[in-house]
Amino acid sequence: MNKNYLFLAILMIILAGGLLILPERTNYTQINPEDLLWDIIQPSRYVTTDQVAKMLIEQDPTLELIDVRCAKEYNKFALPNAINIPLDSILSPNYSDYLGIEDMNAVFYCNDDILADQAWVIAKRMDISRIYIMKGGLNCWIKTIIQPTPPPETASGDEFDQYDFRKGASMYFTGASISAPKSDSKSQVTIKRKKKTTATAGGC
Amino acid sequence: MPNKHVHELNPKRTVITMVLFVVIIVIGLVTLKSPRLTYTLTPRQTLNLVSSNGGSVYPYQLDAVLKGTIDTVILIDIRNKFEYSKGHIDGAENISAYDLTNKENIKRLKELKKEGMAVILYGNNQLEANGPWMVFRQLGFDNVKLLLGGYQYYTLHKNDLAKTKDDKSYILMQPDYNYPEVAKATASPGSDVKKETKKAPVIKRKKKTKATAGGC
Repeated sequence: MNKNYLFLAILMIILAGGLLILPERTNYTQINPEDLLWDIIQPSRYVTTDQVAKMLIEQDPTLELIDVRCAKEYNKFALPNAINIPLDSILSPNYSDYLGIEDMNAVFYCNDDILADQAWVIAKRMDISRIYIMKGGLNCWIKTIIQPTPPPETASGDEFDQYDFRKGASMYFTGASISAPKSDSKSQVTIKRKKKTTATAGGC
Repeated sequence: MPNKHVHELNPKRTVITMVLFVVIIVIGLVTLKSPRLTYTLTPRQTLNLVSSNGGSVYPYQLDAVLKGTIDTVILIDIRNKFEYSKGHIDGAENISAYDLTNKENIKRLKELKKEGMAVILYGNNQLEANGPWMVFRQLGFDNVKLLLGGYQYYTLHKNDLAKTKDDKSYILMQPDYNYPEVAKATASPGSDVKKETKKAPVIKRKKKTKATAGGC
């Protein structure tokens, strides 16, 4: 009888030792490396600057722009309503609330693509969904949205439509009053209205 | 004795319980899912790696590889077959990014790592190979490197790779524009117009109020 207890106790200790060879558990979820590579290859993880501009203009509430450059660069210039999460603090608990918000589409951007891509890969590994990269980054943003170049005359209608959109977007993002003819006609209208009111005021 | 344990009445029960216990544990261990690939770097370590710019191969370093002075390097073209067939870096193998985690390819990469061979991944540009490179680094393949500039830069400087040491045009992450300036510069003519048009109505509005005040 005593021998049985002793044996049982020894067995338990040996089995407990087996816990040591169990794989280490991490306190965060992560996706399989194969799935990670698969997601990386998908072109759907990119959004174009045009798409971002459209969402910004339409004030899409699901858009969450994340600037992964350092704070210094962010303070110099950033896209409207962008949040600054420098790449080296993307894992910091201070910013974890900004990532993986339900129904929000987080779009990473940097000067080009690389920092945003690195942030994206790390965030994706942590199984954060609905994250995207603004393809081309701010360099592409300036080139396509702020300083759009007209397409060649042989270009398709779609390209001209795109150019028109970009011209409009450029006005929207740089001060909303670039088009000279529009503002002229507006001022004329206001001038006329004012004359009218002064006349009635004099009548009183 | 009334307070004798049940199993002491039937010693066989103890044995049965023990055997069952051991069997359950063994079944658990056998069916324990061991993933084919596991991360060896934590996200934090990965972050440190990419921030330190480690594992990058500069185009001028490729020169020695292509001339054969360094023979412990294998180039892998991760673009698809079609793009590879149109042109690739001399001596590069083609393993499309889709197939990189195949059983044979993982086995091959493991062998290369054992042999002390470095593996340079490249795509059309740095971005294309960045993700796959990061995945393999996280899987512990620290012999896997990333070619800066990618194939596009290589084709431009095929014949003078050694001279590109001082060329920094392939280094990304730099702003091409002075962003605040560019945004301001395009805005300034517009904002001038804005000010002028705004001023005009403001002046007239003041006149208006004065007139009505005088009229009343």
